[in-house]
Amino acid sequence: MDTILQILASGLTLGAMYAISTAGLALVFGAMNMLNMSHGAILALGGYLSYFAVGGMGLPAPVGVVFAVLVCAAVGVLIYQIVARPMLRSANFETRIFIATIGVGVILESIILETFGPQPKPQPVSMPGSLTLAGVHLPYQNLMILGIAMLLMAALGFALQKTRIGRAIRATAQNRDAAQLMGVPIGYVYALVLAISGGLAAVSGITISSLSSLLPNMGADPMLKAFIICVVAGLGSLPGSVMAALFIGVLEAIVQYVFGVRFSFALLLILVIIVLIGRPQGVFGRVQGVRL
Amino acid sequence: MSAELSIRNLTAGYGAQVVLRDLSLEITEGTLAALIGPNGHGKTTLLRAISGLVPITAGQITLAGTRIDPLRPDAIVASGIVHVPQGDLLFPDMTVLENLRMGSYLPAAARLEKQRLEEVFSLLPKLRDRQQQTASTLSGGERRMVGIGRGLMTSGRILMLDEPSLGLAPIIIDQIYDVIDTLRGSGRTVILVEENAMRAADIADEVHLLDHGSIAWHGKGSEMSGRPELLETYLGS
Repeated sequence: MDTILQILASGLTLGAMYAISTAGLALVFGAMNMLNMSHGAILALGGYLSYFAVGGMGLPAPVGVVFAVLVCAAVGVLIYQIVARPMLRSANFETRIFIATIGVGVILESIILETFGPQPKPQPVSMPGSLTLAGVHLPYQNLMILGIAMLLMAALGFALQKTRIGRAIRATAQNRDAAQLMGVPIGYVYALVLAISGGLAAVSGITISSLSSLLPNMGADPMLKAFIICVVAGLGSLPGSVMAALFIGVLEAIVQYVFGVRFSFALLLILVIIVLIGRPQGVFGRVQGVRL
Repeated sequence: MSAELSIRNLTAGYGAQVVLRDLSLEITEGTLAALIGPNGHGKTTLLRAISGLVPITAGQITLAGTRIDPLRPDAIVASGIVHVPQGDLLFPDMTVLENLRMGSYLPAAARLEKQRLEEVFSLLPKLRDRQQQTASTLSGGERRMVGIGRGLMTSGRILMLDEPSLGLAPIIIDQIYDVIDTLRGSGRTVILVEENAMRAADIADEVHLLDHGSIAWHGKGSEMSGRPELLETYLGS
């Protein structure tokens, strides 16, 4: 029983971290059909920025986190202005932006490598200590990650459902032309969505590196998992992505315990294949009509 | 009466494919103007060019004397031209109410949201019962009504309806036309794109016949019925 709870606890922490990085990816894809391949690099950048602000400059941890989030949000806006906007109206936008953001990711990763070097660095933003509840060992850091993820997802969900700009984002995602015809400035929506995604990536990078360490290419694995989760949930479905992230986190923890760490990724890929055979549009996805 | 919307020497299309050639058109304030013509001759493209969704390569569009063609689509909506697109283009995962409320997204319309919602519900009573239903689960006729209702939620002075009767059962078409007829007295200018020329000519103050990307004939709706050769030449009926 204790073991099961322990697996569940670490699985949920894992899932919560996945949820933060997946939500950003899903939001951008949902709103603008853009697979942002630089998401992983932005995530690493966020981790390093917090390392720089807290470890290097000696700022308090919350200030360091806010700093990282703001800079990564600004990077998101820059990606919109410099990369996405010029090709927005072109044919094959999806393919072009996919390739272009791979380039952006390489540039960001090289900047990190050049600035901070290839050696692993510790993430200074973390909470030491743990508590033991009903025989389950719960580090404060894991609890905090879970709490932050819940809070962020709830805030994002609330903003999308209840606020004016949230309605504009959903409208743009569901029908770009119709949103424009209602007076929604879609350029602003796109820039905002990439900013939110960048900020979420920063939080994700900080939390992930706080459980392992900082490396310039640390974003690759979480981004790949985020893609897998997006595909399983149905690309662009935000609530579906969060649920799928938690499910996959727990599944991964179970697989790691029962079969060993080396099988977890292979089993995730098998899961994707099974889902795509049964439901090509993803578990929560909707079959998209032909775009005219 | 003054020309509210004036289009001069408009050329527009999709990339290398020119759809509208040197098209000129004037719409008088407060009238119901019908835009008819065979399929694929640019009726929808004209509406999309006016709303800024299709880039124009030459000519200009002015609304009450002010040029609107350089504006972005959202700014054109804010200036008072509202386009109810063909095939509804609803927000499929939103409820009927949320769809209607998107019509009053802009601040000027948001202030009048409650009042306009009542007006829409009294004009289209079915929507009141379907408020909480997701748009993607509605029937074709209901979707069309949401599309029109969403247009009425805006503060647009000009309402452009693109084939509001397309693909609907005759009894629903009658209902839609009743609604369009009541718009005539509302002070709004209505531009109606219609495949069914006689139906449009019946209801319209002015008829503009679009052929090969420019206006081939225009006149009063009542003149249309006395000119059977127009139908034969341009509409093949």
